[in-house]
Parts: sequence; C-alpha cells; structure tokens
Amino acid sequence: MNSAFRPVLIAVLALAGFFVPTLLGGSGAVYSACVLIAIFAVMSYGLDTVVSDLGEVSLAHTVFFAVGAYTTALLSTGPGFGPIATLLGALVVVSLIAAALGYITLGLREFAFSLVTYAVAVVGANLAQNWSFLGGSDGLRGIPAFNLSLGPLAFSAKNDQELWPIAYILLLIAIYVVYCFRRSRLGQAAMMSHLNPRLATMSGIDLQRTRLQVFLFSAPVTASAGWLYAYQRAYVSADVLETYFLILMLTAVVLVGRRVLLGPLIGVALIQVQEKFLSFGGYTDKIILGSVLVITLAFLPKGLLGLFQPLTGLFARRPSPVSETRL
Amino acid sequence: MNLTQQLINGLVLGHAYALVAIGWTVLLGVARLVNFAHGQMYMLGAFVSWYTISRLGLPYVVAIPIAMLAGVIVGYIMQRVLLQLTLKQDLVSIMIVTLGFGYVIHGCAALFFGSTGQILETPLSLQDIYIGDLWFTYQDIAIIITAILFFIALKYVIDRTRIGRLTRMVAEDPQLAQLAGINVKRVYLAVFAFEGAAVALAAALVAPRTPILTSMGFEEVIMTFVVVVLGGIGSVLGSYVAGLALGLFTALFGALVSPAYTTAAAFAVLIAVLVLRPGGLAANPGGR
Repeated sequence: MNSAFRPVLIAVLALAGFFVPTLLGGSGAVYSACVLIAIFAVMSYGLDTVVSDLGEVSLAHTVFFAVGAYTTALLSTGPGFGPIATLLGALVVVSLIAAALGYITLGLREFAFSLVTYAVAVVGANLAQNWSFLGGSDGLRGIPAFNLSLGPLAFSAKNDQELWPIAYILLLIAIYVVYCFRRSRLGQAAMMSHLNPRLATMSGIDLQRTRLQVFLFSAPVTASAGWLYAYQRAYVSADVLETYFLILMLTAVVLVGRRVLLGPLIGVALIQVQEKFLSFGGYTDKIILGSVLVITLAFLPKGLLGLFQPLTGLFARRPSPVSETRL
Repeated sequence: MNLTQQLINGLVLGHAYALVAIGWTVLLGVARLVNFAHGQMYMLGAFVSWYTISRLGLPYVVAIPIAMLAGVIVGYIMQRVLLQLTLKQDLVSIMIVTLGFGYVIHGCAALFFGSTGQILETPLSLQDIYIGDLWFTYQDIAIIITAILFFIALKYVIDRTRIGRLTRMVAEDPQLAQLAGINVKRVYLAVFAFEGAAVALAAALVAPRTPILTSMGFEEVIMTFVVVVLGGIGSVLGSYVAGLALGLFTALFGALVSPAYTTAAAFAVLIAVLVLRPGGLAANPGGR
C-alpha cells in the first residue's frame, strides 16, 4: 500500500468507527453495547501485550481492571475528584500494585507466574467482598456522572450515548498505544524473550527487566478501562473481579488471532453481540464463552484468521513478511 | 479459644487440603501439566455426590465411585482436547484452555444443579464424636485416614511400580520416552483421568464439611496452589507436609484473627515463600 495514503485511510476508518452506533440504528441498547465493547476491548488490550507479546498468562488483569474501577469510585465519591484526576489516580495506584506484583513474580515463569497471578485475583475478590473500605459486598455506590470541564469547555455524559465519544477516544488511544508498543524497542524485546529467551539474553536483553516493563505497561491500559467502567455503571462492587472478565479478556485476545492489532476489539465485539443480542441465558452464555476459548486454542491455533488463511493464499502474489503487524 | 480443638480442626483441614491437592501434585510433578479447572472439578465431584445421595437416593459408598467416574470422564475429555497442545508442550495454551474448561464446567453445573447452595450430608458427617469438650465427626476421621492411605499408595506407585516409572520417564523427556516405545498419549490421558478421579474422591470426602455452591471452584483451588508451591512443586511427600502445615495455619488464623481473610492469609504465606525461597519453586521432574 502506498505509504502516504495509509495514514489518510486509517484516519478515515477511525472517524468512520465513531459513527458505527448511529449506523446500527442509534438506539440506547446499541450505544450501551458499543460503550461496553470499547471498554472491554481496552481492558483486553492490556492483557493482549502480556499474552501475545510476552507469552505469559497473567490472570491478575481482572485485579488491574478492578483497581481502576475502585480507585475511580473512591476518588469521585469521597473527595469528589473529576474524571481526569480519577484517571491519574487510577493509573498511579495500578502502577504501584503492578510494580509490587511484578517484583514478586520476577523470577517466575509459565505456570508458576500464572498460579500466583490467579491467586492475586482470588485474594482481590476476597478483599473486595470483605473490606468495608471498598464497600464490602454492597460495593461503592453514587459515582457521579462523567463531567469534564476544562475552562470554558464543559462535557457531561449522563447516559451511554453521551459517554460513547469518551469510550471511543479511549479505545483509539489504547489501540494506538499497543501499536506503538509493538514497534518499540520494548515490544521487540518482549517478542524476542518470548520466542527465544536464550537468544534474547545473548543479544543483550535483560529478560526480567523486559518482563517487568511489559507488565507495568499493560496494567494501566487495563485499569483505564476500569476507570470508564466505573462511570458507565455508576457503582462498583466485587463482581468486577468475577472470572467472567478474565475469560472474556483471554477469549478476546486469542479468538481472532494473536498479535493482530484489531483482534481484541473484534473478539470482544463478537462476544458482546452474542451476549447482548443473541443470549441464551447466563449459564448457557458461560458455556458458549468457555467453549469458544477452548475450541479456539485447541483447534484453531491461529485464531479465526487462520480459517481464512487458505483463501488469502489464493489471492496473494507473494508471501507477506511474517513479522509485520497485521491491521 | 480452645487450642486443642483448633489443632484438631487444623489437622482435619490439613489432610483435606492435601487430599484435594493430590491430583495437581501428580499432574504437575509427574506430567509437568497444569489444570486451572481443578476447582471446578472439585465442585463437580461434590455436586455429583450430592445429587446421587439426595436426589437419586443411593448410598454414600455408591456416590463416591460415581463422582470419581464423572471425574475420570471430565479429565479424559479435557486431555483428549488438549492432547495436541500437550504433545507440543504449549503450556500457555494449556493453561488458558483449562481455565476455559473450568468456566464451561461451572456453566453446566449451574444449569443442571441450580445455583443455590446445598449441603452434602453423608452418614459419617452426621455422627459426632465428643471427647470432653472436643468435637469432631466420623467424616473428619475418614478424611484423615483416606488422605494418609492415598499418599502412601501414591508414593509407592510412583517410586516402585512400572506405571510410576513410565510416567516419570514421560515427565523427564516426552520425546525420548516416545522413542523408547512408551505410548506417551496414553500416559497423558491416564494422568488426567487420575487427576479427575482423585479430585472427585477428595470432593466426596471433604465437601460435606462446608455448604457447596456451583460457583465455589474459583476460590477452592487457591489452597491447592499454596499446598503445591509450599510442598516444592510436584513433590508427593512435600504436598502432604505442606497440606498439614497450611491446615494448622488456617485453622489458627481463622480462630485468632479473622475467618473472612483466611484465603488472603494463605496467599500471604505463598508470597512469603516465593520471596524468601524463589529457588524452591524449581520443579523436580518425576516428582518424588
């Protein structure tokens, strides 16, 4: 593709994406679904960098999501901070927690790493249910509507339709950040230490440092989704730590294909559309989501895109470079 | 607080933890595999036992093998689906798939058994024993005896028998074991079926101690993690000792500090071990 033409095309696509809810009828349910898709996609992008690039399975990302939501709830209901201050607060708190967890798990790999991060998720849920500071089993209620005023400019979002621009901007930022990450030195170091740790070490990459940095990069991305989720729901309770979010994130990351930039977004969108518009009831939806995750990994190692690969081969004139990040 | 009573509770709890962790110990130590659906398989074992006793009206001794059979079937199906990933040793995918399986098992169980809490009553759990002001049930005695016998049998099988030797060979080097004529696939299937049976047996024995819920799997498995890590991943004897230690710790912590935070406290122990003894995590293939 012509390199000068590419940024224009991306800009047009990004702009067109904003009008997707309008094109789909613009009803309340559509806006609500779109806002949730954007939020959950941002949540998944955080995990995506750890699973797809670093090659580790972090099960603590629901905690990062919850930290974002709880910090927002505490700061907006207590001291009455606005969205920018709560976002900054959420990012600071989650970075501290991710740094502590990253430090503890520095020497752990594969199952030991996953095991400890899983334990963090269970303990996080345990704390949220019992600790009165976090509202206990009732959770924290009364989060004010998203209200941003910068000088003469004021923006207020009282429903999902009004919240959509914020959710969409957050989504675009998350996608751009992950795109930059994959092209950055850190992203490449992560990929190298994933594919061949010995070679990475030989080429001067500090494995533990890379792992810690990727972890620290991914946690705020997921937490920023928690930040917006708190405003979207107007209350936060321990159910933000449910396994559902973990399975949703993991499925979104692997469903379309790993290291596909729009993969998590498309994955989340497919799952949410099924759950919102083609639901078979909570438990059956659970079975569907879990089965999709199992089937994708066990039988479609390249994700849904792998299914279409034989077709793309028909049209390709020459093999595309493997390392390129597909859009 | 009655200290002796808490020690008895801790002892029972410890054997319960060790018993529940047996399947994981073998899976991890012998086959170098993990199963994040362990908690949900425990839940399934408990509910199958409950269903067999309270709905089908069959005796407890029949319910145990039925629960174990269900465990074997689930374990077998899981490993059938996982087989290609196992042979590739794709641990990242294996972990995620088992999580997905756990989610599916939870959904199926909630559909079939409902989402309300149940109590698994057995003839043994209803018979109390009082010695002075100390109290326990015959179920508690059954847990301790079964755990001890199971551990002795397991240690014997792994160390002394042909099956144990084959599984240890597969754990050491699957490719080489295959070259040596071992049917690696069958060993993996057997190990997973064993894990299913072991956790179902543990559930049938341990679950009567507390109310059962189809959503309990998520949290249930954490004690197993702590036992396996504390015991030096994959070590059979280590798991038993770690189970006991953790049981005593949680019983005393629950009585002295707060019963709501026992999971968090157990996790704090896990973190302490990780920070103080990071080398202790090095898995010993073919776990002894």
